[in-house]
Amino acid sequence: MNNIVSKILIVANLVFSLCFMCFAGAVYSFQAGWRDKANKTQQQLVSANGQVQDLQGQKDQLTKTMTANLTNETERANVAEAKVNGLDQNLTQSIGNLANAEKERDKHLADLLVAQREAQARITETNDARAEIKRLRDQSNEAIAIRRNLEDKNLEMEGKLAEAGMREVRFLKEVSHLNDLLRLNKIDPRDPVTGPVPKVVEIVDGRVKESRRNASRSAEYVQISVGSDDGVFKNMQMTVYRDSKFLATIQITEVEPDNAVGRVVEETRNGTIERGDNVTTKF
Amino acid sequence: MSQQSSDPTIYDGLMFVSLGAVIVGIVFLIMAMDGYGWSAG
Repeated sequence: MNNIVSKILIVANLVFSLCFMCFAGAVYSFQAGWRDKANKTQQQLVSANGQVQDLQGQKDQLTKTMTANLTNETERANVAEAKVNGLDQNLTQSIGNLANAEKERDKHLADLLVAQREAQARITETNDARAEIKRLRDQSNEAIAIRRNLEDKNLEMEGKLAEAGMREVRFLKEVSHLNDLLRLNKIDPRDPVTGPVPKVVEIVDGRVKESRRNASRSAEYVQISVGSDDGVFKNMQMTVYRDSKFLATIQITEVEPDNAVGRVVEETRNGTIERGDNVTTKF
Repeated sequence: MSQQSSDPTIYDGLMFVSLGAVIVGIVFLIMAMDGYGWSAG
């Protein structure tokens, strides 16, 4: 025990003994926490294993389901791919048809444009033709009016011609009668006429249409129903009477074909001139 | 012939303390193993 090695070994023995005692004390002090932690870890491990098993079962189930789904989807994809191929073919055909249709459409559009222009031109021509027709109708109406007017004039002239024919016959009879009288009286009709010749006054009978005095009431004018067509002429004197009573003498101042106006040059007190009184050249 | 001294030295005390520490450590380990029911698993 007196050498140095023995002393060192004794000190080392003491140190290791103390370390062993401290280690054992520490183990005894902390082993309860370690055990609880280990139990908890064990429980977590068991629970985790259960979850892992459950997840494994779910995974297997999902794998089966997904496999089945994948199979179905694969089949559907194959079918869809076939359909897509068919649709692609149809699309290609449709694109071709569309291109043809577009060509046809462009062609029809061009035809339509031409037809529209032609229709516009036809419309313009139609409008011009309508205007021309309207103008011709107006001209036709005017011509019809002129024709009717001319027909009226023709009828009037035919009436006058018939009347002139009758007058001609009458005048020829009168000429024949006068020639007979001239021969009977031994007068040559080619002898010259000497001296004033009184104008021949024919018997003209008419009616008073209106009697009116002038503004200064210095003269009375009478409008009668006979005119130049009946043999009335200007400055001709006519007699106004009513029921065989002489009323006045008028001198013609204005003459129209079917009426005339005369100024009263002599009047009596048998009455005033009224509408409807008779007028004649020989009373 | 040298005379042997029979008085305990400091190294004897250290040896005694070391023995006590070992015994105390063993007691701690026994108590800890008893808590586990003598099962290492």
